Parts: sequence; C-alpha cells; structure tokens
Amino acid sequence: MAPLAPRSGDAVFANVERVNAELVTLTYGAIVRQLLTDFEEVEEVNKQLDQMGYNIGIRLIDEFLAKSNITRCVDFKETAEVIAKVGFKMFLGVTASVGNWDADGTECSLILEDNPLVDFVELPETCQGLYYCNVLCGVIRGALEMVSMKTEVRWVRDMLCGDDAYELKLKLLEQVPEEYPYKDDE
Amino acid sequence: MVREVSESCVDSVTMEMVAAYCGRFYANKQELAARRIEAIGYQVGLQLAERYTKERPRFADHLEAIKFICKDFWSELFKKQIDNLKTNHRGTFVLQDNRFRWLTRISLDSPLPTANGSPKESSTTSNDAKSAQAAGMHLYFPCGIIRGALTNLGVPCQVSAEVANLPACSFVIRIKG
Amino acid sequence: MIICVAVVGLQNNPLYIQSFTDGDDALKLHYIVHCSLDVIDERVNNPKKIGSTLNETYLGLLYPSENYKVYGYLTNTKVKFILVTTDEDLKDADVRSFFRQFHAAYVDAVSNPFHVPGKRITSRAFAERVSTIVRSFGTSTTI
Repeated sequence: MAPLAPRSGDAVFANVERVNAELVTLTYGAIVRQLLTDFEEVEEVNKQLDQMGYNIGIRLIDEFLAKSNITRCVDFKETAEVIAKVGFKMFLGVTASVGNWDADGTECSLILEDNPLVDFVELPETCQGLYYCNVLCGVIRGALEMVSMKTEVRWVRDMLCGDDAYELKLKLLEQVPEEYPYKDDE
Repeated sequence: MVREVSESCVDSVTMEMVAAYCGRFYANKQELAARRIEAIGYQVGLQLAERYTKERPRFADHLEAIKFICKDFWSELFKKQIDNLKTNHRGTFVLQDNRFRWLTRISLDSPLPTANGSPKESSTTSNDAKSAQAAGMHLYFPCGIIRGALTNLGVPCQVSAEVANLPACSFVIRIKG
Repeated sequence: MIICVAVVGLQNNPLYIQSFTDGDDALKLHYIVHCSLDVIDERVNNPKKIGSTLNETYLGLLYPSENYKVYGYLTNTKVKFILVTTDEDLKDADVRSFFRQFHAAYVDAVSNPFHVPGKRITSRAFAERVSTIVRSFGTSTTI
C-alpha cells in the first residue's frame, strides 16, 4: 500500500479538534505567573518552562506524525520547514517562517509574527529576562529528540520585550543514527 | 474572528502543569501542589468570567450565575453543558458532568509518573486506583476555574469535585456566607 | 467631547481614570466620578423606580450637571465604567457603542496574566486603546 501523502499545515489544522484559543492563552499565562511566584528567579522559571515544553514535546510528536502523515524528513532543512509550516499550524494555528541558515545547514531561525500564547500579555518590568514563550523551545527540542535529533532551541527576539518579531534559534547538535534493537544480519 | 488552537494544546498544557506540580515541584507535598493548581485555575476562572459575560445583562441572583456556569460557560469550555444541576436550597449546588472532557483522556492514560513500571503492567484494580488519584489531581484545576468565575460574578464559594465513575464527575459548590 | 473616562472597582476603588482636557480640573473630575458612584448604587439597588431594562449593563445618563453629562455602565463582575462628556445632544447608540468597545478593551486588559485583580490598570496598550476609542467617539454609529 502506498504511504499517504503528507498533509499541509492548513489541512491538518482543519482536521484536528479545535478549541477557543483564549483558554490555552489564559491557562498558560496563569502557569507562568504561578511559576514566578513559586520560583522567584526568572532564570529558574525559564528552565522550568523549557522542561515542561520538553515533556509536552515528547508526547505530542506521535500525534503530530500520525495526523500529518509525515514519515521521515530527508534532512534538517526539511525538518525545520515542517516544524514551521505544519507543526506550529497544527497546534497553535499559526505558521512560522524559516530563515538565517548557517553555512553547513545545521542552524536556522524560526520566525513568528504572533502566536496565541502572548495574546493580552504585557510583561511587567520585574520580569526582565523572562522568555515568556519558553515552553515552545522545549516542545521543539523534545519532539525532535524523539525523531533522533538532538537540538538546542533558544529565543533571540521577543516582541514582549520590544523586539519586532518572535525569533527562535534552532541548532542541530547531533543526529543520532536509528538503532534497531534486533539486527537481522543474515 | 475567533482565534483557535488544537484541543491537544490545551490538554498538553494542563496535563503537564498537573504533572509538574504533583510530580516535580511538590512531589512530597501533594496538598501544596493541589493548592497551586487550584490557584492557577482560579485566575483563569476570574478572567474567563470577565470574557464570557461581556455581552450579557447582569445576573439577578446566585442561581442565575450558577446556571450560566452550567450552560454557556461550560459550553464555551467543553462544547457541552452540565448534564445535571442539583441543589439543597441551602447554598450547596452539585453540577454533574457525565462525560467530563478533561477526564476522558486521563482514564485511558495516566500522565502522572508511576513508581513501578507503566500502568499497563499493573493489575486492573491498582490501575483504576491510579487513574482515580490522577483524576483527583486534575480536578483541582477545573474546581479553581469554577470558583474563580463565580467569585468574580459575586458568588463567593468553595468548590470540590467527586469522581465516581470515570469520566463522569460532579462539582460541589458551597456558597459562603 | 469626552473629557473623562474612569473604571471603578467592586469596593468603589479607582482602577483607572483618564481625562482628556488640557485644563487643570483633575480634582473636579474625580469629584464628578465619585458622585456618580452613588447614583449607580442607587439605580442598581432600586431598579424598578427607573423603569429601565432590568440588569442591563448600560445604565444610561446618570446625571446632568451644569457643564457635564455623566453616563454609567456596570459589568457583570460589578465593575463600573464612567463617561463624562460636554456634549449636549448625544445619541444613545453612540454612548452604547462607546461602552461596548470600552468594555472589550477592559476585558483584554484584565486578561493579562500579570494584571492583579482589584489593582489599578497600568497597561499601556489599554491606555492607547482607550484613547483610540475616545477619539472615534460619535463618528461612526454602529449598532
């Protein structure tokens, strides 16, 4: 049987169960605020948001692969495009653009003009250094790790801090070769 | 146009929030974890009440506010209404949802870290017990939402939840004062 | 012309007040806003006397003074909005439309996770949005 063709971000988003974005916007906001109260240090909150994202990412990848009909990406470049055009769309309803590739094709930027997590949000001065959307870094890192790519993901621009876009740096550290537990040598 | 996200977004975030507070931040202080999760829900409830009552007349009394929670508010959040509303006419209201959306996934797969192996390997009974326990932790969030919404609508109250048969559950509202 | 808008909380605590006059009449405006709170309480507690639609958020003209007209609005969460104008002949639809937009702006402002309920609204985005709504007041009547 021929594999199903990969779906576009719009097609996938149209087919998933969708809900009003404000519930996730407000819930995420309340979590960030509670974390700030509990951990006090902005650095620590960034770390926890990334960790939470990682845990989400390792779980979401299966749903993502199943619903998008994506079986395997040829290389890191294609992977980045899929995250930007299908991944973001499928879960958050927005797409990102990919750019700023380095020479050896292992580092790029994902640029978002907006995303539902930041609706209504205005950071107080006391939150300098907070990467409000840091959960997204973790999600991408976790999801990619499940498809054998070790990555580093960090924010370089943040509109909540006055920048003109949201920009994530996505760097491939290591592509772990697939290992099969039972080798069928002969 | 109303902005939408995938439902798995909401599920992921709330499940991970519960897992983080119960399993990592306050692993040995479940009561504290519960209080934090409830507080997160409370803030969301306050804000949602503000948003969802924007275009409607003020409620005349407590009952009207509670009916609003059962109907419009629940529909906005879960695409269905509360199935049954009971009251003792002395300030206690029981809201029953026969198929509470946020419990439908939990009954299948407990997201809380388990000490020994995966839940699938354990016996059915302990599996059920674990599900019920996990469900309990997950219910502090919607309890907080209800308390936040009603408080903001001028109905100060306490809210608790009871699970009898997953994914059905009841929210018990006790009006203060 | 709108000369002042205000948001007043549950305990009659001021959450936001902005005037749009050059004159030095802040004290007078605060006084007007303060007086209008009593009128709102009176009206909400004795709705039958007025005969307006029961429990409608829009409370209409609260009272006319020599120079000003003061309009009120009470949300479901018991937050009061006050509008002070110098216009003589205002269309009810314009005032309603103003409050509807103002309410939407307020709801978004308190949806900021860092806003503390019951505390003053310090959001710059809110202030800008209010200014825009005030500027467009009466120019387009949409019902």
